[in-house]
This record gives sequence, C-alpha cells and structure tokens, in this order.
Amino acid sequence: MTALLLTLKKQPELPVDLSPLTPDKLKGKSKAQISAIKLINGKDKTPVSTLFSVSGSDTENIRIQRSCRQLTHIGEDMSFGEIQVRGDAGNYLGKHMHGGHIKVSGHSGDSTACGLKGGLIEIDGDVGDRLGANFIGELHGMSDGTVIVSGNAGHRVGERMRRGTIVVRGHVGEYCANWMLAGSIIVLGKTGNYLGNGMKRGTVILTKKPRHMIATFRHCGLLKIEFLRLFFKQMALANKEFNFFRNFGPEAIRFAGDVSCEGLGEILVLKNARISK
Amino acid sequence: MKIKSTQIDDTFAEAFKMWASRIIITAETKQWAMAAATSMTGFATSVIGCKCEAGIEREIPVNETPDRRPGVSVLLFAMDALGLGKRLVERVGQSVMTCPTTACYSGLESEKTVVVGGQLRYFGDGFQISKKLAEQRLWRIPVMDGEFLVDERFGVQEAVGGGNLILLGKDMKTTLRAATAATKAMRTLTGVILPFPDGVVRSGSKVGSRYKSLMASTNDAYCPTLRGVRPNSELGEDVNCVLEIVIDGLNESVVRSAMQIGMQAAAKPGIKRISAGNYGGNLGQYKIDLYSLLDGDKP
Repeated sequence: MTALLLTLKKQPELPVDLSPLTPDKLKGKSKAQISAIKLINGKDKTPVSTLFSVSGSDTENIRIQRSCRQLTHIGEDMSFGEIQVRGDAGNYLGKHMHGGHIKVSGHSGDSTACGLKGGLIEIDGDVGDRLGANFIGELHGMSDGTVIVSGNAGHRVGERMRRGTIVVRGHVGEYCANWMLAGSIIVLGKTGNYLGNGMKRGTVILTKKPRHMIATFRHCGLLKIEFLRLFFKQMALANKEFNFFRNFGPEAIRFAGDVSCEGLGEILVLKNARISK
Repeated sequence: MKIKSTQIDDTFAEAFKMWASRIIITAETKQWAMAAATSMTGFATSVIGCKCEAGIEREIPVNETPDRRPGVSVLLFAMDALGLGKRLVERVGQSVMTCPTTACYSGLESEKTVVVGGQLRYFGDGFQISKKLAEQRLWRIPVMDGEFLVDERFGVQEAVGGGNLILLGKDMKTTLRAATAATKAMRTLTGVILPFPDGVVRSGSKVGSRYKSLMASTNDAYCPTLRGVRPNSELGEDVNCVLEIVIDGLNESVVRSAMQIGMQAAAKPGIKRISAGNYGGNLGQYKIDLYSLLDGDKP
C-alpha cells in the first residue's frame, strides 16, 4: 500500500481548509470518496479532485506535494498517522492535534501547533507568530506534544502554553513564553523583547544571552540543574538531529519570574551563553 | 544428599508473597550515592520489626543511570503495595532527599505504581516544579544544594520474600566464613537482596512465644546452648554454630538461583548441614525444596 499522494494542481487564490484530510477522517475511504470531499475554499466548497491530483491509498500516510501557504488547518485534530508536507504550510498547521506526526519541508504560517494536545510536528523552515499558543478564544495553548522548528519563529511563541516542548533552532520574536503556564521552550538562537512576560510557571532554555530581560525576572545565580541532563538526554533520544544536546551540561544561570504573577517560571541560560548580570 | 562433605537436609524454605520496588539513587560521586543507599536500607531487616525489608542490589555505572551520574540500586520489600508506598515516601524523604547531590528514580517498569515524588513535592512549599518527559513525571524540589529530582511514581510489583538457608557448622569461625562466601556469591545476582546485617542473621525465629505479646521468638531448636534442654533440638553433637541467610527477590526464580549458588558456596569443610526454615508449609505461598535446587533425586 503506497502513501496517499495529494499533488496540488494550481496554487489557490484563497485559503483552502485541509482539516478534512487527516488520517482519522480519511480512514476507510476509497480514492473516489476522497476525491469527492469538498474543501472550504474562501466562501466556496471545492472538491479535492479539483485542487489536487490524488493517487495512492494509505490514508495513514499522507503526502501533500507542491504545498503552499494557502493550504491551512493541515492535520487539524489528527490523532494518529503521518502527514508529510512538501513545500510550505498555511496557518493553523496541527491545530488541536492529539497524536501522530506532521513534517513540513518548507515554512509554516501563524498559529502553528496552536492548542496542540500530543504528537510531533517538525518544520524545516520558519514559522509565523503564535507557535504553540492558544487558539483564539481559548484559555490554554498547547497542552502536550513536541514541536521542532529548524528555522526562526515569530512573536508570542508558546503563549499560554500549558505543557509539552517547543524547540526553535533559530531565533524567536517578541513576547516568547508570554503568560506561559507550564511546559518547556528551547531557543538556540536569539530571543526578542519581553521574554517571559507574565510567565506563571514553565521553563525557557536559552543558549544565548537574551537581548532584553524584563524587570520582573530575578537572577538566581549559576546552578547545576540535574533535570537538564534528563531533558537533553530525552531530546537526543527522541530525535537524532538533537544529538548535540548530549553535550549540554546541567549548569545554567537561572532567572525566576515573572514575579508580578506567581513567579514560578524560569529562564535558564546555559553556562556557555556567557550572560552578564 | 551431599555437596562435598556437607549434608543437605530434605526440607524446603517457605517463602512469602511480598511487594517490591527498585529505587535508583544517583549522586555527584559514588560515595554520596552509596551514603544515601546505606541510609535508606538501614533498619530494614525484617517486616516484623521494621515494616519493610531493604538492601542494596548493586552499584550502577554512569552509562546506565538516567542522568549519567554514579548510581546505586536499592530493592525495598513490604507485605502490600500500600505499605510499600508509605515506606518509600518515608525512606526516600528521610534518607535520599536529605543526602547531598542525590536524585532518585523508579527502577521498575511496572503497570502498578505508587506515588512517591508526588507526596514529597510538598516539601517544596509551593516552589516545587513538575516536569514531564514522555510519560515520566518528575518533581524538582528546591533544597539547599540546588534541587532534589525525584520521580512522581515508582513502579511496584509482586515479589518473593523469606527465601532462606540455614548453615549448621562445627564452630563459629567456620560457619561465619561459609556464610560470608555464600552471601558474596549471592550478591552477584541482580533482583535479590539479603536484608540482614551483611546478609546474615543469627537470631532466627519461630512463630509464637510463651509470652502473649510476642508473635515470634527465638528458634530454640537451632540454639546450641539449648541442645541438652530442648527435646526438639535439631542440632547434633558436632554442630556448635548456626547462621541463617534470608533472601528477598523480585521473583521466585531469582530467589531459587540465589539459594542454589549460596548452597554451593557455603558447602565447605566444617559445615555439617545446610537446612532451610519453614512453618510446615502452612504460612508461605512458595515452597523451595533444597533437593530440587541441586537438580538431584532424593536419596
């Protein structure tokens, strides 16, 4: 059984909601049934066969070829299986996803992994704003799962995040970990202003000195944090690309905050970051 | 049946169903890990008086521990899972958390678990931090040298306690030497502990007493000083010292293996008999026949 291949025929002018095309919703459907599914395209509904050429039959293993930013809600609510996106993905990639694996070879739009509840999302390029944040109107951001971004991320990464792990290998924008409730965010690049604003709990791990530290974070000194050994070991085991994490020691400069809230969050700058007080 | 010149009694060891947990203690150095493990396994010789039985299973090299630091593995046994959970909270809290630089992890993959770190976290007075790695939840409790890291839940499983060997020797020196050889051989196995001091007990007990308040009393049938007094004495004229080795294990198989290699190691010149303690087969769930361990037929 070969993977279900959806090749975009022509880039649509308006966003197309791909939420009906997940392993959960396509389970047991024939090629003809899949081709007939109508997708919301602007204010119209367009059959899959009009937008994509469809081949293959394994609905647990979906490949979207020649993807572009107009394809939104990819993998929404999915709980198992794999979706591989060749090209860029639009907004709301992996929204409320429970499990499974999404891999994007290009960039991804805003609100990627918003309300994520489980599974793994990997993006080779950059992502827009509100990565792993709460969906509009909801109280909590992602509550489990892992997101790995190889490029840069926009503003408000992990806003109201409740659990899970976000790894950004590039830079992040402003208000990273804004109102964060728990979970872990690792940023290997630079961070924008207002890092950890309103943070109640949770951990932000940095390898570089933050450009701007808000006044409501308190310096706790250079400490050995044994948990980091386990955390980095786990990351290295989960993804071979993160084998370099094994070299990260448990020593980090700890900043506790945001003391204007509960103040139980922490920003850990790994020792080799050479941060000044 | 004999091993070399030592007579093996035609009897069985009566062992009991217990509950066990494996605790992995790590620290900055082997010395601190061992200090915590030694403290944790103190006063844990018998469930009768100590509510649990515990011992050090082995040292763990850095490449096998969760945090790549020197480690020690401890096995703790109790009569039920609830009691085991309580003992774990007490002993991890008082002996491991108090020891500098340590961290404490569950060492058993088991469906049944008891909450340990989830209880100890309150020591953090609200400053404790919970972290979840895959399905494992850990608690980071702030302490004066940094943080104490502990698993929220520890795996527990059914186990076997009370496997035993009784060595009957011609004198104290010979019997001690044989007991030491046996315990050394048994400690090469994983999954077993010998909860008594250095693995050996001299005050073997029988069920009951002439005093109503005592549920156990001295095993007078094996006391050399009572040989001429007690008509039920098990000791011949040539036996002047008796020592017992008690074995707790994670399953019957490993207890049998320990008894087997223990008998082979203890059968030295001067050890007249090797026997085993039982209660007529009425109390324990496991009967470990000594002859079956030697893989031979009864004479």
